Amino acid sequence: MLNREQELALPLWVQVVYAASRALGVFSACLIVLAVIVVCQMVFVRAVLGESSIWQTEFTTFAILAATFLGAPFILLTRGHVGVDILPMLVAGNKRRALYFAGSAVALAFCGLFFYASLSWWYETWSTGHTTSSMWRARLWIPHLSVPVGLGLLCVQYMTEIWLVWTRREEPYGMTPGVHL
Amino acid sequence: MSPLLIGALVFATTLLVLASGLPIAFGLGAVALGFMIIFDGWGSVHFLPETIFSGLDDFTLVSLPMFVIMGAAVASSRAGSDLYEALARLLHKVPGSLVISNIGACALFSALTGSSPATCAAIGKMGIPEMRKRGYDADLATGAIAAGGTLGILIPPSVTMILYGIASETSIGRLFIAGILPGLLLTTLFMAWALFLSWKRGTVLIDKDRVYSLKEKVELLPRLLPFIAVVVGVVYALYGGIATPSEAAGVGAMLCLVMVAVIYRVWRPRDMWHILRDGLRESGMLLLIIGTSILFGYMMSSLQVTQSVAETIGALQVNRWVVLAAINLMLLAAGCFLPPAAIILMTTPILMPVITAAGFDPIWFGVVLTINMELGLITPPVGLNLFVINGISPDIRLTTILKGAFPFMMCMVLAILILCVFPEIATWLPTKVMGK
Repeated sequence: MLNREQELALPLWVQVVYAASRALGVFSACLIVLAVIVVCQMVFVRAVLGESSIWQTEFTTFAILAATFLGAPFILLTRGHVGVDILPMLVAGNKRRALYFAGSAVALAFCGLFFYASLSWWYETWSTGHTTSSMWRARLWIPHLSVPVGLGLLCVQYMTEIWLVWTRREEPYGMTPGVHL
Repeated sequence: MSPLLIGALVFATTLLVLASGLPIAFGLGAVALGFMIIFDGWGSVHFLPETIFSGLDDFTLVSLPMFVIMGAAVASSRAGSDLYEALARLLHKVPGSLVISNIGACALFSALTGSSPATCAAIGKMGIPEMRKRGYDADLATGAIAAGGTLGILIPPSVTMILYGIASETSIGRLFIAGILPGLLLTTLFMAWALFLSWKRGTVLIDKDRVYSLKEKVELLPRLLPFIAVVVGVVYALYGGIATPSEAAGVGAMLCLVMVAVIYRVWRPRDMWHILRDGLRESGMLLLIIGTSILFGYMMSSLQVTQSVAETIGALQVNRWVVLAAINLMLLAAGCFLPPAAIILMTTPILMPVITAAGFDPIWFGVVLTINMELGLITPPVGLNLFVINGISPDIRLTTILKGAFPFMMCMVLAILILCVFPEIATWLPTKVMGK
């Protein structure tokens, strides 16, 4: 991963993408904290006050779902998505670069198609005003929105990562050059 | 094309794609989507958001980030060092005490965090230099921590067991309680081996004449007992049916965040951000793998692969123990290359019909599978704990760590064999506490 100084030397558009991924990462972390608080409130309401919970179960589930999709670009930026590094460690130099571009193209194609499909999927719930079937009747377009937003930025973040390796500003897989099995 | 042939193609493609190093979540999704497009046409793309979103739209999954936050909070504090130091002082006069303290600290810390690498890092940072300073060989010191760290996914609460519970649709509470006795069995086996090796090598502690006063022995306990109380409380709430896994984990996460702030003064915004960042990274990564593995399972089922594999194995008419041995060998081989989350989520939907048809208890199998996954954490080439230990002690060669970890791997194989002969070790406690 690049340090702060190296990051500042990058083109402005890369810094903007990084900032957007970090902002969504902070927002996702806040959603997880909110989910923890709401779960505690739900337990208190049910166990201590003896009342039934109405909205809490759906809210926490949607908060965690939104954090998953919105946090995906930040997790990619911080190399949090685990992979199996066997082949990359067996090869070096241009072969490792070629492997990285091939693998990234497959991953980007999946993320891109997922993003494309999520646009019409979200639009449908937004235009029809679909709600959940519970008493709370949450509007589904709100949690659904996290999918296209998160995946859209994930695709941009992925393309940025590929560009950085392509222009040799970063090493493929973040591995030290010349080190292999 | 027959479903079995499609299954073989899916297997080969998945191996190739995942080995290329791309993130597992996207690799699984790409393979699933690719086969869906090939066999069902472009229209399959539109199933993607609904399949993945509705698969993740499950309150049980909320327990995952909550337990991860709970573990990240404890791992960010000095609780690991205190736990290690407290046990080392209490067991000072016992032969091989230091290595036993380390394994014991690993078992307790893994119960607090549910994470193997975090356990290895927290206990190893203190334990390995201390053991070497006091005369233990490098292989025993590192092997004990590498193996002790694996207890994290067996002793409850365990993220791995949550994943198995979701994939196999079995009770997470039952799985947690089923892991307790096998966890103690494995801890005892690890300790017995460490004791035997220390005795055989005639390891003499440099400070064996040091005497700890009663005050020194108990002074660290007040800092640790609240954390242990939270874990016991969470597990009790689950077994007693007082709370669901997500509710128990949510309250546990909140309590752990408050306790690390009060007891260890981990309260500054930067400290809190580190806990939340680690929690987000791990839980987000796991949830995306779960989402795409749901898509993978959907593809396998819609192409009739899952059903055909189960029917074929069922029609083989071989002894059920042969089937179990073959499954364990396959899981062991997969564990050498893939992380536990990916293996469990990919294989459980296929294995579950085979296991139940062969008359094995799914809860018992969950425990056996978890021990098998523990083995994968200390086997090359991608044994995560080996690399964590290597990072802590870069002067110790990986081969030395492996040499030290090998006997502990054999202890795990022995534990699986004992569980096969005496399955009650895993099934008795859940039945006793939660009924049939």
